[in-house]
Amino acid sequence: MPGWFEGVSRDIGAAWAIARKDMKIYYIKPSILVSSLLFPFVMFLAFAVGREAAAGTLIPGLLAVTLLFSASSIEPVSIPIERRTKTFDRLLSAPISIRAIVLGASLSGALFASAIGVATTVIALIVLNAGVMNVAALLLGFALTSLCFSTMGTLFAAYRTENVGEVMSLLNLVRLPLLFISGVFIPLASMPGWGQSIAVFSPLTYAHDLMLFAFDGTTLFGPVIDVAALVLAIVIFQAAGIFLYQRSRE
Amino acid sequence: MDAIEVIGLTKRFGDNVAVKGIDFAVKMGETFGFLGPNGAGKTTTIRMLTGMTKITSGRALIHGHDIARDTLAAKRLMGVVPETSNIYDELSAWDNLIFTGRLYHLKKAEIERNARDLLDTFGLYERCHEPAGGFSKGMKRRLTLAMGLVNNPGVLFLDEPTSGLDVQSRRLIRDVVQDLARKNVTIFLTTHDIEEANVSCDRVAIINRGTIAAIDAPEKLKQTFESLQSIEISFDAVRPGLLEALRTLPQVNDVRKEGDKFRLYTADPPEVLSSLCTFTQEQNMRPISVTTRGPSLEEVFIRLTGLSVGTKGEVRETDAGMV
Repeated sequence: MPGWFEGVSRDIGAAWAIARKDMKIYYIKPSILVSSLLFPFVMFLAFAVGREAAAGTLIPGLLAVTLLFSASSIEPVSIPIERRTKTFDRLLSAPISIRAIVLGASLSGALFASAIGVATTVIALIVLNAGVMNVAALLLGFALTSLCFSTMGTLFAAYRTENVGEVMSLLNLVRLPLLFISGVFIPLASMPGWGQSIAVFSPLTYAHDLMLFAFDGTTLFGPVIDVAALVLAIVIFQAAGIFLYQRSRE
Repeated sequence: MDAIEVIGLTKRFGDNVAVKGIDFAVKMGETFGFLGPNGAGKTTTIRMLTGMTKITSGRALIHGHDIARDTLAAKRLMGVVPETSNIYDELSAWDNLIFTGRLYHLKKAEIERNARDLLDTFGLYERCHEPAGGFSKGMKRRLTLAMGLVNNPGVLFLDEPTSGLDVQSRRLIRDVVQDLARKNVTIFLTTHDIEEANVSCDRVAIINRGTIAAIDAPEKLKQTFESLQSIEISFDAVRPGLLEALRTLPQVNDVRKEGDKFRLYTADPPEVLSSLCTFTQEQNMRPISVTTRGPSLEEVFIRLTGLSVGTKGEVRETDAGMV
């Protein structure tokens, strides 16, 4: 077996082991599952009530925001806790690369958020009597958006602290503004020029655009650009995460 | 080839040099104690040897694999049991072991076979499917050690393995460690329990302020400190000023009162015994017990790490250098 193939195989095996461990410890818990499923419902009430738009048109934005929060919320909590309990040292002393640690942590959040996205879609379609125009684009959107934002959460957790609050504060400094500059609640066309300029740098913009395309075929950038932008964001977040976790060993 | 070879290992945190170019080698199958006071550089050294912390300069080789350049190959050969029992409380003992085995990329059948054997060895099999968070401190420690052995390591790093444990867990862990040593597993042990190092280790290194103060077999280290030999004596009655009077005896470096006994430190016990005979006759006192003792490893440790015990300032050159 070539050396590089064995290395990749080991990385994937270790990442999958970490993802399974995280799913078991942090995600598949009644409190997490219930709050994650209630989150889009509460968001729907907050933004649909009193607005003239048809309820069905809110689904893409609702899904993009649900994926953002579901995917990026757990690792910034679990990694500082694992630093405090020294279980993170177990990963550092194991014969696995930092690449595998970052991928494994991100994978668990991505799988969880994708599952929440699917469940939210099914409920929304039944309750709001809406339809999906392109299921493949929707599923691809779920996978890429979830992995993008779970990697973002893992990246913020690289901040070398055992204090969960510190990581969450930093994360929210970025996460909350994303809601308002990504066309989710304010259409991009209605934004001022500077807002539109910033929006193109937000992965949530492309996630929302891809969801819109999947649901009713409308798109600002086109699905190819949306997918490419999300893949690029994943690569950048992964690379930055690997760099910062490497540095934290110093 | 040595199991562990350390050459000029240095770790710098900003302006602070935590480990200052240390050198040592651990032979295959050797049980090597690494002792030092808090803040001496023990944990930093272990973290560098196990690849958890980057090395500033120098090299560390595990079975010939450079931990900085050939990190994963070196790590595959080692088991690490840190001072804190870093198990996943939410997972069962079984799941903790299976997860650790997966990190080592072992085959499923091998992981399960090793997990069963280790749970049995450490007396955890009966409760292996309960969340580990409900385990006692001793059980958690045993599980941590089991997790460090799931890959059948050639080198085992043990950081304070028995600290604060009940007698049963302590004895079980000691038995397992001795059994590993018999199976030619190299053991790198750090402990505050000097007596544990004395009875378990083939050699010990004493690190202080980031440098190695001495490396040798425990008995050889003790022999280098003749001045730490002592005579322990108790009398039928204790009189005021007795401590000061004993200090004036020729060849006595220091005297300590320990309960109803006096310990007289000396490099020449026969001479002091002779003086004591004369002294007791002159003072009309009767000794109840007299024992001559060599230095304990703890006394050597305290001496090497800068704390004074029973000796007047004395610098001596040993195999380990200036001490």
